[in-house]
Amino acid sequence: MRKVLNRFVWAVALALACVVPQGAFASIDTIAVDVGISVFKTTPIGIVPFEEKPGIDWIEEKPHQILTRDANLSGRFDVVASEKFNLALFSRSKAKHYMTGKVEPTSDGRLAVDCYLYVSQSKDLLLGERYTVPQKELRRAMHAFFDKVIYQLWGERGVASTRIAYVSKIDGVKQVVVADYDGFHRSQITRDSTISMMPVWTRGNKGLVYVNFKTNRPRLYTKNFGRPEKPLFEQFDQTYSPAVNPVNGELLFSSSKDGKTDLYIGNMETGKARKFAYLKSNQTSPAWSPYATEVLFTSDRGGGPQIFVMGKDGSDLRRVTFMGRYNERASWSPEGDRIAYTSMDNGKMNIYTCALDGSDIVQLTNNAGNNEHPTWSPDGKLIAFASNRSGTYQIYIMRKDGSNVTRITQAGENTAPTWSWFYDDNKPQPKEGSK
Amino acid sequence: MKNLVKIALISGAACLALVACAKKQQPQTDPAAESATAAEASQSAEPAMTQAQADSLAAEQARLDAERLEAERARLEALINQIMSEDVYFDFDRSELTEKAKELLAQVGELLLKEQRFTITIEGHTDARGTEDYNFTLGAKRAMKVKEFLAAYGIENSRMESVSYGKEAPKAQGETEEAYSQNRRANFRVNIKQ
Repeated sequence: MRKVLNRFVWAVALALACVVPQGAFASIDTIAVDVGISVFKTTPIGIVPFEEKPGIDWIEEKPHQILTRDANLSGRFDVVASEKFNLALFSRSKAKHYMTGKVEPTSDGRLAVDCYLYVSQSKDLLLGERYTVPQKELRRAMHAFFDKVIYQLWGERGVASTRIAYVSKIDGVKQVVVADYDGFHRSQITRDSTISMMPVWTRGNKGLVYVNFKTNRPRLYTKNFGRPEKPLFEQFDQTYSPAVNPVNGELLFSSSKDGKTDLYIGNMETGKARKFAYLKSNQTSPAWSPYATEVLFTSDRGGGPQIFVMGKDGSDLRRVTFMGRYNERASWSPEGDRIAYTSMDNGKMNIYTCALDGSDIVQLTNNAGNNEHPTWSPDGKLIAFASNRSGTYQIYIMRKDGSNVTRITQAGENTAPTWSWFYDDNKPQPKEGSK
Repeated sequence: MKNLVKIALISGAACLALVACAKKQQPQTDPAAESATAAEASQSAEPAMTQAQADSLAAEQARLDAERLEAERARLEALINQIMSEDVYFDFDRSELTEKAKELLAQVGELLLKEQRFTITIEGHTDARGTEDYNFTLGAKRAMKVKEFLAAYGIENSRMESVSYGKEAPKAQGETEEAYSQNRRANFRVNIKQ
């Protein structure tokens, strides 16, 4: 049944893809693919186009279009689109709230945007924000407003202002790039003639740690944005698989020496590092639990790669995955209760989640090329991953149940996404202790 | 006078080199060739030789030196190319050496025993399937198996280093078993110790 549904959805998606007009924003709107029946809890929300004063030469998406995309991506809302306020429609669709606003050109060529969140029935204003920005910064302003809406309605932080680091093949060489979570505003971080890969974010989103081959071997480097690159842990031969401790910023990583791969933990400022665990097997792909109390990693002790978990002091080692022969690169859900990982079956890679004891396995991708490198959004609602379902590797976002797959990169070859942490400067001032 | 001595020395060396060359190329050389070079040697040692003659001799010497170096270089290059072309292949997700791989490695081992100046970097690679992280680990294991074999063959560990490229440097493109099998390999980079 699931397969049939799948095929049907694909057929629809393909048909839709064919009729997408090749207009200015044709490349923006992506194919939404629902995998089976979603169990995701979403809230309907109305979106009405902003009232517009004449004199704006639109080169970007309009405010309501950006909000619609944010709402669809967020995994929290079902959009009820309406050309104007329509209480009957909102009522029928159970859209208790709606967003709209006003936009007008300023004398210095910028846009003044008023954004509102209303209660549908009473038209009570719940939230109002004004942004005065150049048009090219409109998108980020709308992301900031959208995150405030999420905070207002859910009491949680949204991810519309977060970013994703990934690897992009530029002139034939893999480079590390950073883009907004929706794929816009891409900027290139590395500019080497040698391969750069495996980017992860340092705390506070100040920079990245990644691997480069400029010394003819994989080696870790770090770079704060706008600052020079710095080699890390040069006392080790080959270093890779970086994982930043979310609490104290220490780096857990793999190092291979004489064919043996072990985990090490080090301080990026002092350069000091020590072995993390003394195990006979090879270990790679470390990942921290949300509060850095435990560590996931891959070991080949059973022959092929399987996922294990242990305490941060190396105690209490347990195997997590038992199904299949190739389970790798686990990452811990920010909510703490599940992991996402890549599994290979018949040479095809797919993304799964399971509970920490290995039970309740859910396959999120299926019958669509290779799907790998899952990374959680910081609110735990979404998973970004790389897939070659379109022929080339591109970055996609889906809800954590595998539904609503949306492509966010279009050209070239893009792999290995890693989601940033929350952006504190865009934080809608949550109270201390709130999630 | 100083010049003359120098010329004499150089031409003497040239003769020796000629003899050496002749001997090398034709171990059963005829005596005529040797006497001819000997005559040449005595002749060239005569102070009556003109500057022009001396120059041409020196040039000849330089040419011979260059040729010899070139021949040596070509020989080393051929050896290096031979070693660099000796890719060792592995089965999927395995790092054990196959019988065929061991035969190839024995040949590489022989070459390394003969050419003590060679140091090598052993690069371990994987096919495109699987994650980047695990493939680094797998490539490291493959390179190490090769290093261990050569060490057992008598090559000093100080002359070998191993490095993993994971799946980042495929030899063949594509998603076919043929491409995969070409990419599951270890290969060599050769350096000459100065």
